Parts: sequence; C-alpha cells; structure tokens
Amino acid sequence: MGDGNVNRFGSMQRLASVAAVFGGLLAISACTTTDKQQDAVEGTVHMCSSCHGMDGRSVSPTFPRLAGQQKDYLIVQLKAFRDHTRADPHAHTYMWGMAGGLSDPTIEGVAAYYSALTPVPGKAGDPTDVAAGKKIYEEGIPETGVPACGGCHGDAAQGGGAFPRLAGQHRSYIEGQLAAFSSNSRANEIMHENAKNLTPDAERQLAAFLATQ
Amino acid sequence: MKLNVRLPHLSIIMSRLIVAILLSWTVLGVHDAKALPSFARQTGQQCAACHNGFPELTPYGRLFKLNGYTFAGGQTDLPPLAMMVIPSYTHTQAGQTGGAAPGFGANNNFALDAVSLFYGGRITPNIGAFVQATYDGIGKRLSWDNTDIRYANTTTAFGDELVYGLSLNNNPSVTDVWNSTPAWGYPFQSSGLAPSPGASTLIEGGLAAEVVGSNVYGFWDRLIYAEAGVYKTISPRTQTTLGVDPTGSSSIKDLAPYWRVAVEPKWGRSSWEAGFFGLAATLNPGRVTGFGTDHAVDVGIDTQYQFLADAHSISFQGSFITENQTLTASQALGNSSNSHNHLRSLHAKATYYYDQTYGATLGYFRVDGSGDVNLYNAGSANSSPNSAGIIAELDYIPFNHGGPAFWPWMNVKFGLQYVAYQEFDGGTTNYDGAGHNAADNNTLYLFAWFAF
Repeated sequence: MGDGNVNRFGSMQRLASVAAVFGGLLAISACTTTDKQQDAVEGTVHMCSSCHGMDGRSVSPTFPRLAGQQKDYLIVQLKAFRDHTRADPHAHTYMWGMAGGLSDPTIEGVAAYYSALTPVPGKAGDPTDVAAGKKIYEEGIPETGVPACGGCHGDAAQGGGAFPRLAGQHRSYIEGQLAAFSSNSRANEIMHENAKNLTPDAERQLAAFLATQ
Repeated sequence: MKLNVRLPHLSIIMSRLIVAILLSWTVLGVHDAKALPSFARQTGQQCAACHNGFPELTPYGRLFKLNGYTFAGGQTDLPPLAMMVIPSYTHTQAGQTGGAAPGFGANNNFALDAVSLFYGGRITPNIGAFVQATYDGIGKRLSWDNTDIRYANTTTAFGDELVYGLSLNNNPSVTDVWNSTPAWGYPFQSSGLAPSPGASTLIEGGLAAEVVGSNVYGFWDRLIYAEAGVYKTISPRTQTTLGVDPTGSSSIKDLAPYWRVAVEPKWGRSSWEAGFFGLAATLNPGRVTGFGTDHAVDVGIDTQYQFLADAHSISFQGSFITENQTLTASQALGNSSNSHNHLRSLHAKATYYYDQTYGATLGYFRVDGSGDVNLYNAGSANSSPNSAGIIAELDYIPFNHGGPAFWPWMNVKFGLQYVAYQEFDGGTTNYDGAGHNAADNNTLYLFAWFAF
C-alpha cells in the first residue's frame, strides 16, 4: 500500500514535471513575433536556400535554380504556391508550406533578391541532343503544332516578365516540368498546349539545349 | 539497436554494475520517435520534405534541425505538440521461459511499445526544441526521452555561410543530423520484448537520458560540420523525477567530452557524408566511489550516402565504433576480470524507397571484443561480448505525402522486421550454458508507428 502511494506520488511528480516543461515552452513561443520586413525577406531567403542552394544555385535537380530568374515570374509562382493554384507534386511537398505564410511585400522582396543574382552558366551536354533541342527551341515542331519556345522565353532563353528564364536550368528539372505541363499535373493552359505534343525525346533534347545556355 | 538480456537473467545482470554501463539501450532509448507532425504543421510541408521514409533526414531535414527547428511557413495556430503511438507484435523463434517481460507471455506478444508526447518546434526565431516524454507500455514507466533544445543562427566565415548553434540535450549524438550515428541510427524501431545482445559501446545509448549535455556546433558552407560538447550525469533524485530508474546507473566523474566532425559533399541528387565522432568518459560504476574509476573512450567513424529522386530513393549508412575500456574500479569491485577491455561495434544498412511510400531495408550489425569472465558471465557461457546478425525490414508509409483530410499532419509507418542472429553473446549454440541457441532469438516484429 505504502509503495503504491509512493509510486502514485512519483507518477504525479513526473506528470507535473512534464506539464511544467511543455507549458513553459508553449508560453514562451506565444510571446514572440517577427515584424521587420527586411528580416522577413532575409529569413525567407535563408529557408529557400536550404533546397535552392546558396545564391540560388541549387545542386539537386529536384529544386530549380533561381539565380537570375525573372522577378515577375517568381512573384506569380510564389503567389500560386501560397494560394494553392499551383498544385504539382513538388508544390504539395515543399512549396505550399514554404510560401504559405509569405506576405505580398515579402514575396516581392524574395523575388527581387533572386532576380538580381548572377545566373548559373550553362554546361555542355550531348551535342546531338543540344542541336536537336536548339532547333525545337528556335523553330518549334510545326507538324505537331509545337511553337518555338523563344517567342516567349527569349532568344537566349533569358525569359521576360512572367515568362521564366530557362537558360542554365537543371536538365532533369526542365524535363520534369515539361512532363508536368503535358500531363496537366502542373496546370497552365498555355504550356499544356505547347507541351502536350512533345515526345519524351523532344523534352530531353529541349532540356539538354537549355542546360547549355 | 536495442540491447536487452533474457529476463531470467535480468536481476543478475542489473546487480553487476559495470554491465549496467555497457547495456546500451535503456527503455528510454528504444522508442526513438523522430518524424514530428508539429514540424509539418510549422513548416506547412509534407513529412517527405524532411524525411526519406522517416525518420531518416533529407538534406533539407538536416538544415531544418541545424537551424534550430525554427523554419516556419505553415498556416496553423495549433501549438507545436505532437503524439506518437506504437503498437506491435513480437514473435521469437523460441519462447522465453517466464515471459518476455512482466505481464507478457513467453512468445507471440502484442504490446503498446510507446506513447509519446512531443514539443517540437520554434520557440523564438532563433530557438527551437525537440522535447519528448514517453510512456513505455512494456516497462510501464513515464519518463523524459530525446531532448534537444537549440539556439541557432547564421553568419559568414571565410566568405561562406556558417550555420552555428548551441544545443542542450540528454544523449551524446542525439544532436547529430546524419542517421549513421547511434542516437538516430538503424534500426529506428525494434522490439522491446525480444532478447537482444548484452554488450554495446557506451555511446550507443549507454548514457541516454541519464545525462545532460551542452554542445556547440557549426556547419560551414553546407560542407564541413564540427561539434563539441560535454556531458554530466544528473543526480539520482532528478533521474527519478524525470522517470529514469537510477538503479545501477553509473555516473560520469566531472565532465565527459563529445566530439563530431563530418564533411558532406553534394552533387546532383546525391549527398555523401563521412565523419568521426567520439566520447571519453571517466565513470564511477554504480556511482560507487573509493575504488578508483573506470574510463571509456569511444571513437567512431561513420558514413552516409543518399540518392533522393522523385520516385526512387536509395540510402546507405554505416558506422564502426571502437571502445577502449580501463576498468580500474570495476576490477576492484569484482565486476570485471580484466583491467582493460575493448569492444567494437559495426552497423550498416541500405534502404530503398519507392515514392517515399514503399520501403525495403537490409542491415547488418556486429559487436565483438575481449572476453571477460566477470563482465559477461551472466548471459554468455564463454564470457564473450560477441554478437552478430542481419535485419531485414519492409515498410509502408501511406501518408508520407500528406495525411487524411481530417488531420493532414498524421503519418503512420507499418513495418515488418526480421532479425536473424548469426551469433549471440559469444556463441551460436548453447551460448548461455542453458541450452539456448543464437537462432532462438530470431525475431519477427510487426509494428505500426503512428504520429499525429
């Protein structure tokens, strides 16, 4: 009986200890806010860099390079992530959360930061694929209704406004996005029309060309 | 690896103080729970962003931890609390006379392995915490568990980024971000009702929850990691208050230093880590003074490789720890025959995941070292610490890309694990002199690991 009381008392002590620790942590966390815009942008960029790399030069092709990306494009995409109107698988896994709490001024600050960075230079690829990709980029594939990419993305694939820079992007990222546009898992009316008739070979060739730019 | 001994020998083992040091995983260390829904709520991201098949960390998960669990983004006002529940079923090749544990049968046992409450998340923009309290449904005990409270910040050093921080924690290597060191190493979950080898190095959970430590760390250019810390044993009274049974536990004399250095280059979808870690502790076995002290130096090397693509991911972790023991006090107390022993521990595993949902793992473990009549005679007929075996595991994680609509932060891992022993406590047949063979301890373990 006595042992039982001791055990119950010990359990109560432990429960009280656990409650005190968790209660204290919750109380502290409730008292803090970050309200400086510059801090918000810097903090956001720091988080972005975890995947997109320092200075927007990501290593893994799961994550696009952002250095030198068009500011307006970044703003549109971040807002689409925030509003869940861009809903491809990577958006679900990573970007809905990343962009979910961003204010318009923070989005503009982050976009301005990345657009001002020097883009990653292209890397040489398979010459045959690069040549074929260049032809598609500049001339399209008239017989299947695929338009020339350069009409919107620029002669040097530098992008403009809401049209993204593609030059120097990861090859497999470009391939993945073209497939996502084609399947509509990344919903975009214009790009779906442009990409739906691309064969896997054509996607590979385009990506190979853009990665060299 | 959770290391226990056959229950019929438990009282003998626990009476031998030095064995209490060497028995690695206490019940506190067993139920490591690592994938936290409160982190998912805080970041707004799916578990798969930070975890490769959870609880293994991705490169982003490592940075999340090194930045003090402070990354935000999620749109929720819920407090950063989470729960974990792990029910299980254990079958061993031979039953255990007298029951696998008090209140359990000799074999084929269902158990509630663990129920944990977590505080996991940001406290201030630079401070965050992972604090776990666990009810052990086998030992019937509530206690504190993995704890890691961090301050983290970023600066520039030699022209490149330096993430640096300070951690207050309760287990050497619980601070680590690669799953190749003991606290977060494989197996991530194992049966608490199956016999497991009696020997392991000190750093493999021998101090878990019995110490507090303060560590400083830095990760430069996302390439080079260095960490140093010191650990001190908490008092028996405090251990009791925190739910830790202080019976037979040893105490660190003064402070025990811990060190860790690693390099992690990345290319494409791959990352590769290689590093060193270690611990040096001067101990009063069983807190007994007047007989000198023991001294243990653990030096480990480890490596991890990850290839993470959208559909397919592969990872490998390995570690090799060498422990040199000077057993002045244990020998004087009659708990060891030798004044010096050594122990070596090898762990390696490879994992494949499809779509972060279907996983298969194959692992190998081995511990060996010098024989010692007084130290190992409780469970080993030839007084040897040697054990080795293979672990195979299949996992299914249906909610790794988001939980059910009513609670999208819920995750669950269904696991089927089989442990096959090639050697157990120094032998393959009749290893304990009581007629038990190593294969008798082969274990089939089914578990469901709920996190919500």
